[in-house]
Amino acid sequence: MNKLIKFFKSFLLLELLKGMSVTGKYFFARHITVEYPEEKTPQSFRFRGQHAQRRYPNGEERCIGCKLCEAVCPAMAIKIEVAERADGSRRTTQYDIDLTKCIFCGFCEESCPVDAIVETRVFEYHGEKRGDLYFTKEMLLAVGDKHEEQIAKDRAADAKYR
Amino acid sequence: MINIEIDGKHIETENGSTVIEAAHKAGIAIPHFCYHKKLSIAANCRMCLVQVEKAPKPLPACATPVTEGMKVFTHSDQAVKAQKGVMEFLLINHPLDCPICDQGGECMLQDISVGYGAGHSRYQEEKRMVLSKDIGPLVSAEEMSRCINCTRCVRFGQEIGGKMELGQAFRTEHAEIVSFLSSTVDSELSGNMIDLCPVGALTSKPFRYKARSWELSRRRSISAHDSLGSNLAVHTKNNQVLRVLPIENEAINECWLSDKDRFAYEGLNTSDRLTKPMIKQDGKWQEVEWQVALEYAANGLRHIANGAGAEQVGGLATGGSTLEEMYLLQKLMRGMGSDNVDFRLRQSDFSADGKQQGTPWLGLSVADISRADRLLIVGSFLRKDHPVLAARIRQAVKKGLNVSLIHSADDDQLMHIAHKTIVAPDALVNTLSQVAQAVDAKQSDGIAGSLLSGERVAVLLGNFAQQHPQASQLQTLAQQIAVSTKGKFGFIGDAANSVGGYIAQATPGAKGMNAASMMASPRKAYVLLNVEAELDCANPQQAMAALQSADTVIVLSAYKNKALDYADVLLPIAPFTETSGTFISTEGRVQSFKGVVKPLGEARPAWKVLRVLGNLLKLDGFDFDTSESVRDEALEGVDVSAKLSNAITGVEVKAEVSAAGMQRVSDVPIYATDAVVRRSVPLQATADAAIPKVWMHSEELNNIGVKSGMNVKVNQGSGSVKLACCADDKLPKGVVRIAAGHPATSALGAMFGTITVERA
Repeated sequence: MNKLIKFFKSFLLLELLKGMSVTGKYFFARHITVEYPEEKTPQSFRFRGQHAQRRYPNGEERCIGCKLCEAVCPAMAIKIEVAERADGSRRTTQYDIDLTKCIFCGFCEESCPVDAIVETRVFEYHGEKRGDLYFTKEMLLAVGDKHEEQIAKDRAADAKYR
Repeated sequence: MINIEIDGKHIETENGSTVIEAAHKAGIAIPHFCYHKKLSIAANCRMCLVQVEKAPKPLPACATPVTEGMKVFTHSDQAVKAQKGVMEFLLINHPLDCPICDQGGECMLQDISVGYGAGHSRYQEEKRMVLSKDIGPLVSAEEMSRCINCTRCVRFGQEIGGKMELGQAFRTEHAEIVSFLSSTVDSELSGNMIDLCPVGALTSKPFRYKARSWELSRRRSISAHDSLGSNLAVHTKNNQVLRVLPIENEAINECWLSDKDRFAYEGLNTSDRLTKPMIKQDGKWQEVEWQVALEYAANGLRHIANGAGAEQVGGLATGGSTLEEMYLLQKLMRGMGSDNVDFRLRQSDFSADGKQQGTPWLGLSVADISRADRLLIVGSFLRKDHPVLAARIRQAVKKGLNVSLIHSADDDQLMHIAHKTIVAPDALVNTLSQVAQAVDAKQSDGIAGSLLSGERVAVLLGNFAQQHPQASQLQTLAQQIAVSTKGKFGFIGDAANSVGGYIAQATPGAKGMNAASMMASPRKAYVLLNVEAELDCANPQQAMAALQSADTVIVLSAYKNKALDYADVLLPIAPFTETSGTFISTEGRVQSFKGVVKPLGEARPAWKVLRVLGNLLKLDGFDFDTSESVRDEALEGVDVSAKLSNAITGVEVKAEVSAAGMQRVSDVPIYATDAVVRRSVPLQATADAAIPKVWMHSEELNNIGVKSGMNVKVNQGSGSVKLACCADDKLPKGVVRIAAGHPATSALGAMFGTITVERA
């Protein structure tokens, strides 16, 4: 008897139609797959991507070398050396982040008293050889310069929650 | 004793103590800024307000004496409300620059504001600004806006330093800490103001922006720059010494540290550090491997010892070398068959050798100086030679110690000196013997009267007395006075290991030659340990001549110094921060320490170098694995205190007839005492490290027809120097005071003796 039912189901293509109905349902449903890289998911203004060093509008670097980020970093990815600049201000002579060590926890950003080290929305970066992801001060400042507009917008959006 | 209750805890405390003292004794923390246990009570920060039962208002714990049955609440609502109120006021004008402040992380204001500060400031107006000040090369007053006007620095200057160099000017919001007429702070203890400052207003200038406090490793060490044996906390990062702080030790340095100990570290890693062994071949220096250099040195020594005889080899060390180094040096010398070894390079009278019953030392413990009631100091530039000890004596003077001074120069000791006699060096013995006679005759006035009226008398011989050509006679007379007054007598050692040198047996035996005779009758080979001969020796002219004429000079030094001119082998050794070792302080305290950083370059601890030299020379008993085993052998398992004795017999006291002409009086300037200090840039920028002047009585200046400030030519022995002269009417007549141990005067001869000054 069971064999008979099975035969008619196959013969009348019922299984095929059932499958096609699922296909048809999703054909008209709202798409949730994001076609990366042509498409991108929306990002929070708190997105923690690649690090950047910011400057003030007059071009002066923000970082004052307080080393709080270095102290708070759980992955010990930050290395800072500080010296007095000719004008007497406290400035870093070295500010390196090893992004291969970094765990993107955002503590550095949170500890910074002058919003100098920030994590940008940039997550599409890569290195081709060992050491490519070791970011020096110049590289971090360059990232900051490139994305300053977005960074400033994100800090402003987050300001009321801080 | 009085019974009080703090926070429900029953406490028994001394009558006359304050609430904060009682609380600290019981381990109860009361927040405070201006209170410091070593300073007088100002009660101006108001942070220590506490509630006292039956008192209508909160009272400052630091200025409230305890009374029987008092009930104190440090954390009641009233107390905490008062403390929070004070904190808010203190923070009103304090800048929010903790991230760039060198005090950040070790700041009292920061710590206490975590507990008592509000999260937000209600203050909207502009904060007050205080202009920065330049108060010298050691203490930075760049950020005086941070000052909370606790006046600890002011009180330190007045009470501990002995001279008020900082003061508070103006009132209320305009109050600020200033130096007088924008002068610099020149105290030899000024660095302690940095420790005392509870905020970041006074910070260390050489340490400025070098590191944050949490990055540093703290390691214990012992001061290598004076004989007190101050306990140090050396702060290091990346194998570099970044700063030095005191470790509190009530029996030695209390909580203070001299600037010399604090800032000498800047001289450790200078560009002239010797980092590779070097040998001189065909008149040219070349860097070689250790093996080559050591064999070259061993061959040189063996050649002289086998050829000319072992007595042609001499070993010299400075008193700042460790016990282990000096022990191995003398073992090396004696192993080769030479008895010529010494560490008392600036001493000129060695007639006490063999007549002393033990190792000369302070004669009493450092803490006992605070308890003495009569003190006679003979021949000492006390304040500059022993800054922290002088501070201790200064405190004792306030509590009733009566200090007398017999010396050849009258520097301001910044303490009350009851009696003083300033005479030319050749009259020193005569003066002291008159005092001894007066003591025996029970004279009731003057120095003798002062000493006789005391119960706990001490007679201390300073560096000048030890370097004096009649040092043994001074020692005999001091002994005589001490016996007559039932007091103690002793030497304030001139170097970190001046007791240790004797314990290490780094002194010649009966057949051997001492430091002076090794220079007077030159040897063919020398081994120099830490020595910069032109600066460290009593007679630099003679020393340089002897070294230049020697066939082989092996120099163990941390620096490339003048030795490049006369040495044949330079072996890089580690200064005290890079080697383990032991210093025996002037009170006989044995203090061992470990290296705090790795030796720079290929430098190695000197005890290891000497051990290998011993091995290469195939001498017995050079199989040491650790510096501790060297120390244990040097100490022979006997308590050091059993070997200490200043007793001397068999020295005849005879007043010497003074030779015609001017006599030289020389001090070793405070920042010229040893190789590390001499290279510390911030210390060399201080007023104390200025180019030495020729100091004379103004009448003597008139006699040669010059005025104060003009250049004069000073001749002594075969050398002469041109220096500016200056009048000092407190000097005795017939005396010329010129510093020794300084490159500007190293062309001159002995530290004592006749000297001529003429118009340049």
